[in-house]
Amino acid sequence: MSPFLAVLHKELSVFLRSWGLLFVVLFFFLVEVFAAGNGIPLDARHIRVGVVDETPGVVSAKITGHLHAPQFQPPRGYASQAELMQAIRNKEVIVGLLFDRDFERDLLAGRPAQLHVLLDATATTQSFMALSYLQNIVLQFEAPRLPLDVSVHKLYNPNGENRWFMSVTEMLAVATMLSIILTAVIFVKEKEHGTWDIMLLMPVDPKVMILAKTLSQVVIVTSGIMLSTAFVLFGSFDVPMHGSFAAFFLLSLLYAFTNAGIGLFIASVSRNTVEIAQKSVVIVMPMIFLSGSWTPIFAMHPFFQYLSVISPLRYYIEGTIGLFFRGIPTPELWPQFAGLALLAVVLYGFGIRRIGKLF
Amino acid sequence: MKIGVIRAYLKKEFLDILRSRIILLVYIMPSLITLLFGYGIRMEVTHARTVIIDHDASKLSRELRSDFMHSKYFDLQPTPAHEAEALAAVRRGEADILLILPESMEEQLLKGLPVSLGLYLDGAFPSRGATMASYVEGVLLQSAGSVGASAPQISLNPRFQFNRAMRDAEMILPGIISLALLIAPAILSALLIAKEKETGTIFNFYASPLRKSEFIIAKLTPVFLLHSVNIVVLFLWAVYLFDVPFRGSFALYLLTGMLYLFISISIGLLVSIVASTQIVAIVATMVVTIIPGFLYSGMLMPISSMTGISYAEAHLYPTMYYTHLLYDYFLVGDGLDAPKNRLYLLILAGYASLLFTTGALLLKKRLA
Repeated sequence: MSPFLAVLHKELSVFLRSWGLLFVVLFFFLVEVFAAGNGIPLDARHIRVGVVDETPGVVSAKITGHLHAPQFQPPRGYASQAELMQAIRNKEVIVGLLFDRDFERDLLAGRPAQLHVLLDATATTQSFMALSYLQNIVLQFEAPRLPLDVSVHKLYNPNGENRWFMSVTEMLAVATMLSIILTAVIFVKEKEHGTWDIMLLMPVDPKVMILAKTLSQVVIVTSGIMLSTAFVLFGSFDVPMHGSFAAFFLLSLLYAFTNAGIGLFIASVSRNTVEIAQKSVVIVMPMIFLSGSWTPIFAMHPFFQYLSVISPLRYYIEGTIGLFFRGIPTPELWPQFAGLALLAVVLYGFGIRRIGKLF
Repeated sequence: MKIGVIRAYLKKEFLDILRSRIILLVYIMPSLITLLFGYGIRMEVTHARTVIIDHDASKLSRELRSDFMHSKYFDLQPTPAHEAEALAAVRRGEADILLILPESMEEQLLKGLPVSLGLYLDGAFPSRGATMASYVEGVLLQSAGSVGASAPQISLNPRFQFNRAMRDAEMILPGIISLALLIAPAILSALLIAKEKETGTIFNFYASPLRKSEFIIAKLTPVFLLHSVNIVVLFLWAVYLFDVPFRGSFALYLLTGMLYLFISISIGLLVSIVASTQIVAIVATMVVTIIPGFLYSGMLMPISSMTGISYAEAHLYPTMYYTHLLYDYFLVGDGLDAPKNRLYLLILAGYASLLFTTGALLLKKRLA
């Protein structure tokens, strides 16, 4: 067996034999992705509304009748404004509607009527969304015969299925974290045990050994991505795949390879596992949070926009979203492939020079 | 327990942390998390790139255009020649919204005939899609309602409680503090014990007359003390860098923070009992802290909007109680006057003692 295959085989066996590690990796790719997809509906749904109604209730009932699922939970009634305020403070409701006595009187008399809305602004997004829903409800209520029909087409995700997006981005985040940390650890473990020097003394080109070791982790992470895609994305959430699956596979492989390069980089500047934990957190956290999965890149601070150019995850996320949802033809993804490849060259160049020498 | 033994062991642990640069993990990580989130996350949708194709070319459609142009939520893009071109721009991710105004829209509306508008949104990011759709419909209803009909009768009078300016920072930062104080101490305490296991130095503890309680105190006290400083550091970031108001009592904030620190350290202790290598310790701690900590912090969605299992899970995980208190200390300021806050403080204390006792009982002073 060539040294390359021997090292690859050894690393894969070590991984498969360490039950704890195998378990957490599988847990991440399967359970965690599932949990995130199922658990984080970012949009404002099931908003809980409290209502204080001091009017006879003809108009108010019509308006509250519009508060229905999925945006709203059935409204709760409160006796007084003080009670409503207390409920908002206790975070039992985030929106309070106050129909005071003047409301219906003014409205029936043809005067402008004011509907008071109390919002728990500690949940800024949801209260903002709730206000905008309410605004639309009131406008529609006022002009029921307005013959305007807006046909909304949500492209690429017609039902606004949140689980699709969240599960995909979570899988990418998991792949990012694991590919970096796992690779960094296999190198530093040898450093900690002192076996790395022995490896370098052996009559094998260190480049071959380094590539074999990183490739073993690339195989692990890519398998994880594929398992996750098969069982969680396709199996549980029916995420569509409008582009080419082969292109997604290649992109994942290249991504895992580039990220292993980051792991190699970290390993080459760390002496022990604790240092890896520090450095990978410092690198992985910004990568994930600035990848465009929480906030789109163009909406970020310009500094972060420039910074995201050197983040492999940016290219991977663009490519993956493009393939899964937008159905972008593979040749149009060349900038993503090129970006990843370029980063890989730089990282491996540095890593091999730094860690592949004894002195 | 022998004070002398503990003192010697403590000194060794402190020196270890200082010399091995772990100190960076202690002081950089929580602040990094805070700065990244504080600057990087924008929940509100502004500057959505909007393309309007106007087949109507009437007074109304021009007014609509200018409504969109003057809104901070939309950035009007140059109009392409064909609809196909605009749709391709949306597909490439270069535009978010495509609105098509049909021919003789104004005429039809004035006659009271039905008009159908086409609104195409980039739905790949579903929550943004829903937000954008709601904004666009709002603008359309308002403008179209002004045609022919009388002025709107009902006006909404919104009052934003606790965060009048609706700033993202005030909503996010208390949540981030709870996240940072959960992740970093848990990882550190799990690592310190797993490191002894992996390198085999844990046998010194097994074989020595050192007692379990002494070992736990010596291992975890440095983590607790070093991270206590972070409670103050994060407070300073929030109040002075991000201008989040602070309306509660600082002493109470500090006390609650320490209680929470106790919980996160105990989580690390529990993880280190199961994990035998450092890598498993790191990764497993991330599993049990990052996602639930993020999810149940109320940063992304209020607990009251959760349903079913996630509503129950949120109440089982300690983060929810701490975040509730933090939002109170920063934005509301009820402090101990509110019965709910007193209850939550008690619950936190309960969690701290429960998790710590379980960890201490499960830690074995011999080979498993």
